[in-house]
Amino acid sequence: MKLYKKEGNILEVISFPTESAEKGDYLLIEDADAAKALIAQVIDVQFAAVPGVLEELLRTLPDGGEPLQGEDIDPMEIAPHITYIQDASLLNGKIRATLENEMLSPSSSWLPSRSQSTIKKLSIPMLLKLAKVDGKLPITLGGTKDSSLLTIDASSIDGTLNIITGKKGCGKSHLSKLLMVNLVGYKATVVIFDLNGEYSSLGMTNDGKRNMYYDKIHTLVPSQNFKVALDQLPLNTVMGILVNALHLPGTSAREFRRLWKMLKEQGKLSMQNLGEAIRDLNCNQHVRDALASRFHSFANSGFFTDCPGEATLLDESIFKAKDSGGAIVINLKNTSNIDRQIVVEYVLGKLVDSLSNWKLKAVFLFAEEAHLYLRETYWDDIVTRMRHYGIFTTFITNQPDTIQETIYRQADNIFLFNFTNEHDLDVVSRAARVDAETVRSIARDLPPHHCLTLGKVVRDFPIVARVRALDIKTLGETRLFFTDKN
Amino acid sequence: MNHLIEQYTTTNKYNFPQPTIDSILPQRFFEQSINTLKQVRYTPVQLGQQIQQFSPTEQYPHNIQLKPTPIPLKPNHQETIVAATDTSTIKIGETTTGIIVAVRGATTWKQNDGYKYTRLGPFIFHITEDNKNQLYNTLERAYFSTTYGNCHQAAPNIMQMPTRLASLLERWLQTMLAKTVQNGVLLFDGSLTAGTPETPTQRLREILSYARRNQSTVLAFSKATTLRANGLLITEQLPNRDPPYLLETAGLYSKPPMMLLGDVYVARLNKANLAFRLDVDRETPVEQRVEAIQKLLGNDLYTQSYPETLRLSHILSTFTANEVYAIKHFITRKHGIQIVNRPNMHRVLFGSYGFKGEN
Repeated sequence: MKLYKKEGNILEVISFPTESAEKGDYLLIEDADAAKALIAQVIDVQFAAVPGVLEELLRTLPDGGEPLQGEDIDPMEIAPHITYIQDASLLNGKIRATLENEMLSPSSSWLPSRSQSTIKKLSIPMLLKLAKVDGKLPITLGGTKDSSLLTIDASSIDGTLNIITGKKGCGKSHLSKLLMVNLVGYKATVVIFDLNGEYSSLGMTNDGKRNMYYDKIHTLVPSQNFKVALDQLPLNTVMGILVNALHLPGTSAREFRRLWKMLKEQGKLSMQNLGEAIRDLNCNQHVRDALASRFHSFANSGFFTDCPGEATLLDESIFKAKDSGGAIVINLKNTSNIDRQIVVEYVLGKLVDSLSNWKLKAVFLFAEEAHLYLRETYWDDIVTRMRHYGIFTTFITNQPDTIQETIYRQADNIFLFNFTNEHDLDVVSRAARVDAETVRSIARDLPPHHCLTLGKVVRDFPIVARVRALDIKTLGETRLFFTDKN
Repeated sequence: MNHLIEQYTTTNKYNFPQPTIDSILPQRFFEQSINTLKQVRYTPVQLGQQIQQFSPTEQYPHNIQLKPTPIPLKPNHQETIVAATDTSTIKIGETTTGIIVAVRGATTWKQNDGYKYTRLGPFIFHITEDNKNQLYNTLERAYFSTTYGNCHQAAPNIMQMPTRLASLLERWLQTMLAKTVQNGVLLFDGSLTAGTPETPTQRLREILSYARRNQSTVLAFSKATTLRANGLLITEQLPNRDPPYLLETAGLYSKPPMMLLGDVYVARLNKANLAFRLDVDRETPVEQRVEAIQKLLGNDLYTQSYPETLRLSHILSTFTANEVYAIKHFITRKHGIQIVNRPNMHRVLFGSYGFKGEN
């Protein structure tokens, strides 16, 4: 390989057919005299603009005829050299760092010698070693192209905002499950908003047996084994549900707050008493109607109960997960849109409450297709205010434009699967921790189950890995009609 | 590295033409090529300042007239083999003692509505003042050994050597065509002028004689001509009538030792406003000449008024820039010749005024 050009942080390297380099590979450009080296990642591979190639290809096509057939008597065996030159490629690389005295710096301000520099492929294990991507809490994400493992440190997703995105069926949920079980293995508390009911089986192996996580997976199904008694609810949480999920107007909200406090003081806070209090409320008819309709939403959700025995499961789960780690799976599969928002508002409120009272140290929250249940104002809330309480969110989506741009800008880690749509790639490329060219070029060509990992977990060295298999019962597969034929 | 390159693509192994055909000349080309490259081993070679491809040209006095009445032509679709040959040479670079050149030839023919070709080469030579005589005489002897016996010619100067080597190869390819094609139309590049250092009269005579013996007709097309009638180029005095047609010329003579072995025509083969000088073997009867051109019209393509078979021969023998790089790669890897970029003196001395019309 030979260094051809450097413009800004883009390098162009001429590579010959015997030197294979592909998108995503890392190159080490060493200048022995300068005692420095550049580390660049190949983001595109093109044919080198060798003069005369077009003429070479065209001359085998006569006017209006089929390709020319013939025999080349080439006693000196020049033909392989012609093919060798013709197939030379141009590697476009993005400079990621400068290596000097075994220390990495993000600088690309120096110019290595074009004639004297040696260029070789940098293996992923070597890169990870140089970048010090290691730690005491390893999570092996999968295998890289050079048959090494990509192992990140669990502490690098602690306190961070993460995004897992890619088009349908490429393995997003699989990766989020992998991260979850590893976090649970390190005794972390994980909460999952499970939109499709696919995380309930995290505690089972593929063949239906219990695995090591079985006792640590707590699946809560709203209005079935997950109900809430009103007297357990802080007023702020209820107001959050009414205002944000059920869109209660301000005047009615003030009346509700007064009513709630009155019942609380009387020790009569129950669904039945609340319903009666609203019915007997002496106020403007519109306010009473507004309150009555919200009360019916509450009642119809089946999520609220007057029986204290039915309403302890979330607290119990949090308590269990607190010490030995665990995943609380909120199964939202059969929950209506309104009820989903009620449940999510409640869970988030409860988590903030538990965290602010130090009942919990921190929570890793996994939110699948969050736009379907998260109100708009919550996005910023989650990434700013709730982060300080200790809620570290991972958004999982196949529609990257449903996540606000501000979230991308603040994301610490992005796990990017294949996208072919330019619009989707544009959205993801707004992330602060990666350049647009890398996202556009590499993500477009990612095979299924291969993930481009970007951000803190890989010390800002984007790495492609095939996500490893998990011995966990799969429930997230798309149901098919022509199952037998497939 | 060489080993790796060899594995990368399979090469057609050198398979000399059929045993009935004399193959001494290409064998000598190969041997001499290897010998001369051995002499330059491990010495630096400077790149030529400009890549040059040589095409032999000729000049002779003339007093030519163009006959005003064209000979009309009608395509004759009777199945006839149309075959053509051409060679090319290029300077790859200079060493301290000489030059490195490459030579290649191509033969093309139309068969079953498709074009086929055989390419011979490239042969790469390191030509120096010291080896040019030995090189040239060895190759000449290889040619003459089967024709006239021993013959010894003075080698040209170094800069003329590439053209001479290409001419030798071209005449050999023409001989092979003349010996093997029966009842065909043989297309040569250039004219049928003999008696030049590149084309000894006896050699061209013999090629034409082989062709006649096999009932083939030799048609030689010149891409460019300097022949003028009444001060104007003969290819630019076209009558106002529909092509295809031929224009006869008269009054053309050459000074000894040059000899015209063909009669010169201007051929306009289709509506493209292009015409070419066409030399037809003088000893071929006039009717057979016209018939041969009509068979060419009926059997070959001629989109630019130029036969496709001959165009392909030229294209296939020409060196592309890519091939020049490959040859440099070959001489570096296989023969340890280090390539050095010599500063272009025009550019050094005259800056932006020293580009001689280059882009």
